[in-house]
Amino acid sequence: MNDSKDQGSGLSRRDFLQGSSVAAAATALGAPTLPGLAAQPGGNDKAPPAMGPAAVRITLNVNGVKMTNRVEPRVTLLDALRNYLNVTGCKRVCDRGTCGACTVLLDGKPVYSCSMLALEAQGKPIRTAESLVQGEKLDAVPAAFARYDAQQCGFCTPGFVVAMKAVLEQNPKATPAEVEKGLAGNICRCGTYEQMRDAIYALCNQRRS
Amino acid sequence: MPWPTTRRVIGTKVPRLDAPYKATGRAKYSFDINREGMLHARILRCPYAHARVKSIDTAAAEKITGYRAQHAFVKPGAELFFAGAEVIAIAADTEEHADDVLHAIRVDYQELPYLVKEADALRAKEGTLGAPSNVTVAGDFVTNNFEKLAYQGVAQPVEATYGIPVICHQCLESHGLVAEWDKEQNNLTVYASTQNVAGLPPQLGQYFKIPATRIKCITWYMGGGFGSKFNPGPEGIAAAVMARAARAPVKLMLDRAEEVSVGGQRPSAAGTIKIAATKAGDLKAFEADMYGSPGVGNGATVNFREMPYVYSGVPNLNIKTRARVVRLNIQTARAMRAPGHPQMCFITDQAMDDLAARLNMDPLRLRLRNLPPNDANAVKTAPTSLNAVRHTIYTREIDIARKLSNWDKVWHPPGKSDGPIKHGIGMALHTWGGSGGPNNDVKVTISQDGSVLVQCSTQDLGTAERTVLAIVVAEILGLNPSDITVEIGESQFGRSTPSGGSTTCPGTAPAALNAATAARDAFLTAIAPRLPGTPQVGDLSIEPGRIRIRGNETPIPWRQACSRLGQNTPAVGNGNWTQGLSNRGVGGIQIAEVKVDTETGVVRCTKVVAVQDCGLIINKQGCESQVAGGVIMGVNYALFEEAIFDKNTGRQVNPDMEFYKLGGIQDMPNIVVHMMDMPERGVIGIGEPPTISTAAAIGNAVFNALGVRVPHAPYTPERVLAALAGRKAGN
Repeated sequence: MNDSKDQGSGLSRRDFLQGSSVAAAATALGAPTLPGLAAQPGGNDKAPPAMGPAAVRITLNVNGVKMTNRVEPRVTLLDALRNYLNVTGCKRVCDRGTCGACTVLLDGKPVYSCSMLALEAQGKPIRTAESLVQGEKLDAVPAAFARYDAQQCGFCTPGFVVAMKAVLEQNPKATPAEVEKGLAGNICRCGTYEQMRDAIYALCNQRRS
Repeated sequence: MPWPTTRRVIGTKVPRLDAPYKATGRAKYSFDINREGMLHARILRCPYAHARVKSIDTAAAEKITGYRAQHAFVKPGAELFFAGAEVIAIAADTEEHADDVLHAIRVDYQELPYLVKEADALRAKEGTLGAPSNVTVAGDFVTNNFEKLAYQGVAQPVEATYGIPVICHQCLESHGLVAEWDKEQNNLTVYASTQNVAGLPPQLGQYFKIPATRIKCITWYMGGGFGSKFNPGPEGIAAAVMARAARAPVKLMLDRAEEVSVGGQRPSAAGTIKIAATKAGDLKAFEADMYGSPGVGNGATVNFREMPYVYSGVPNLNIKTRARVVRLNIQTARAMRAPGHPQMCFITDQAMDDLAARLNMDPLRLRLRNLPPNDANAVKTAPTSLNAVRHTIYTREIDIARKLSNWDKVWHPPGKSDGPIKHGIGMALHTWGGSGGPNNDVKVTISQDGSVLVQCSTQDLGTAERTVLAIVVAEILGLNPSDITVEIGESQFGRSTPSGGSTTCPGTAPAALNAATAARDAFLTAIAPRLPGTPQVGDLSIEPGRIRIRGNETPIPWRQACSRLGQNTPAVGNGNWTQGLSNRGVGGIQIAEVKVDTETGVVRCTKVVAVQDCGLIINKQGCESQVAGGVIMGVNYALFEEAIFDKNTGRQVNPDMEFYKLGGIQDMPNIVVHMMDMPERGVIGIGEPPTISTAAAIGNAVFNALGVRVPHAPYTPERVLAALAGRKAGN
């Protein structure tokens, strides 16, 4: 668990990209025209410390538990959570910061975990939807989702729950319209918005009374 | 046994049992399955809309760190007909290495001519899909003496063209599975995102030439299925092949670009309609010349025999229809939530409103006047069939929707709305089948500790299927749905039919009723001799939470009664679907309101009233959620969704979620759902009907707002402004 010296969190994405292969998850459709593997690391001594392409040890603080594994520097926070730490509540859907299914709380703020590197998330508390239940007791937000049937297939749901939790934590007096605004970065395909609104109204009323 | 006539749980609002798992990320979807030593796989796809594979070179790829296996879908020389067609799959130890391996594969192609736009294909002199032309006639139909009768005594006919584009399923959990063979390589387990849990083992068995009994499919949770997930797909086959070759589990889930460009499309539809009625509004003539694209598939995209949609049963209506199939070098169409119906509804119902405007009639009155009558023959022979009650159902539904939408006050003649932001209201009708059928096995087990287990191999697409089974069993056993443990989504639980055509609830709810009844009887038979006074089985009855012995004042609580069962001899009941408990055929009406900004062209849908029947309602909450979800999918269809293809590259330019638009919560109208409960009709499916008429109703609302028809959906600002300016919108 004592891995903090392995990697600081002060490395910028640009520095990282200079010393590694292409980070973006590229579409396979374009594969024949995409660049191949990046040049081997090394070279200029004055360049920032090159990392990768080999895996490095990282530690993430997920739902109050320190989790460690070896991942390549190019791995996103989302993929580190799902593929290397088996934390699968955050979902991979668009994989490029549009749909919100991968939303997690990083230091209390909602972020698209598909759009940041796992390395960048070290040292900050990460909370996923899995943290919103103690034993069988649900946090008020997922409880409202359950009570008002604000999920169908449920694949987008943890992202919505986390985003809604973030809005209400930042502004406990938020109005339903403000909560809806906080969910503008999340997309549902089954069409659960009407039931989600019932959940939002109930949550806002609970807090006011 | 028939459905109970007094119902304590059935038809009430029951929150879905698995919601606490879904809402906290604990529900395990196929995409979430991580197995020990699991490999990650990806597929290299053809980047051209039409090409011949000249060579495939994997030499460099096989040297990449982590490479483990490959599976070629095609050989050099193969002709591929759309961008996204599978070429070769590879597996590696990590997703990152799988990407590296994929990018190191070299494939040379010879590019060939292609067509990706309907208009281009209609004009083209040569076909690009191996036939002389990409355009074929799916069929035509004409009523007797059409030319002579159709336009006799009619007011001036209306002729116009309407169109709606190809859209994509956009399942949030993409297609794919995790495949794992046992050590001896004899038995295969797949964790698949599928609508067909019981159907995957035989399909995979056929490929691998092994008995289906050696294959197990597990789908505990699946993230969206709208008709595109009935088979393992090339991705599933590739995963299983590579898992066997590499002797390790393989996960292969499509990425977003793949999901959109090969994961299923709903065909486009366009139709030139000529419609006429008498001055009083009696429909006399309906002519439709339609076309649409199933992509590289060659199935018909609309049913020419069902036009005009809903009104084809109007007596003395002269009908002439033709449907053409315009094949394109894009992914093949797959069934998508009420295949063909949203398109037929869109084309028919907008012509109805244009006709109403021509006749200076309220379109609601025009519809009431032309509803197909209850079929006298059906009333005698099949009194609960849709044909026997369709006029009654639609009339009632229209009346309810009219009140809920305040139609009589809110409707105004087209274009008669003040200010730059115009208000409009419009309606449309729909119909669907939704029958249940045999081959659905449900097993109910009552144990000594009072627990009740229900097992069925069926899947939950988001329909609250677990809750459906629990409700039915709870009703019969005098328990609450939350007292019941439901296990679904594992093929070894027996037979179940694929979830398509809105058949799952009407297929499994009757089976659950029969299984629960059998379990109850077995239970009472087992405990009767062990109860005080050794009553006869016929003296026992179930009340909520307890067992009543005739003549005995003190009932026995459920758990206490169950304790009389032997420890290893639970009471078990098996049941299958039987005739008479389910039905088919529903109506439905939707009324939409919009605000259209005539300066920016932005359309906002503000309210949708949806009135829907589905026979006997099992879970009112689940039904309302399905209807609201269907409406939302329809709002997306009307306002946002379009698969856009670039004729210069032959590729879809928006295989994603940022340029392929789906509305968020702030884009959605207030939705008012009214469920008609018609228990005498039995259980009918609800998944598909409520998404059919939304787009047509919105189209009519936009027309009502503007007084000008925007001919082509989605109603983007550009198309709205073009229609207002009297010009044709760009593509």
